[in-house]
Amino acid sequence: MGILVGYRWFPEKLKRPNSVLQLLCIAALVFCMGAMLGRRENFFEELGRLGLDSLLLAVIPMACSALLVFAATKWWGKRNKKQADGEEKS
Amino acid sequence: MTILILIALAAGILCGRFLFSAQAAALIGQASDWVLMLLMFSVGISVGTNKDLFKRLRRMDLRVWMVPAGVILGSMAGGALCSLFVSLGFWESVGVSAGMGWYSLCGVMLSDFYGADVGAAAFLSNLLREILSFLTIPLAVRWLNPYAAISLAGATSEDTTLPVLIRHTSAEMVVYSVVNGVLTSAAVPVLLRLIYDMGR
Repeated sequence: MGILVGYRWFPEKLKRPNSVLQLLCIAALVFCMGAMLGRRENFFEELGRLGLDSLLLAVIPMACSALLVFAATKWWGKRNKKQADGEEKS
Repeated sequence: MTILILIALAAGILCGRFLFSAQAAALIGQASDWVLMLLMFSVGISVGTNKDLFKRLRRMDLRVWMVPAGVILGSMAGGALCSLFVSLGFWESVGVSAGMGWYSLCGVMLSDFYGADVGAAAFLSNLLREILSFLTIPLAVRWLNPYAAISLAGATSEDTTLPVLIRHTSAEMVVYSVVNGVLTSAAVPVLLRLIYDMGR
């Protein structure tokens, strides 16, 4: 529905307020996540016990994903460039 | 933006801990669904106003598949690597990392499979992935490339982290983000079940 509204009726001058609304929504969502975490009965205990494990289990998979995707897309870009250069020469 | 997110997170934790009653917390849970819907509507508007995007859709190449494949393989490889350093076993670590940011589902499923401790680690770690994505996406765009930035968000690249990706990349990347989010989200429950069955 949002895409349809944006495509057909949304005025250009409201683009900036729409972007501010997104920022406020993100902050509200993160606040809700924080509240959910804070409400967990043993949150601080869990954080102490599982905090480092959880942090590693978040950071290392993120880094591996980013490096793998970076390498694959870079390879793809180079391959396409080579092909384009080859076609130009021939 | 980063500061705003950190303040919102700290305020949320403190309010959840010291201020909100159980009833208020339930209301917050419901409110977050409405906020997410409003966010999705607003993101939809941003996508719709980029009229160029629909032309670009036809020009999508193999990278549209490379990103989700890289996210899935990279996340699971990262989980396997983590098992060397954390107190969880190999399959449990791989399971936690295969949540790819979908903390609610991953937390519930892994609690059911392995017990409350692994469930709590899954919840915390996937929530951290989502929160860290907000903070690291701008850095990945600057130091790596926009595709790598999408991969940080994992399964959340189609909803909560999409506005951040839109803000820091280009309109073309919206399509890659949404496709990545849809495919990785669809893969999460299947992978969690598979990993559990393989580890038994």
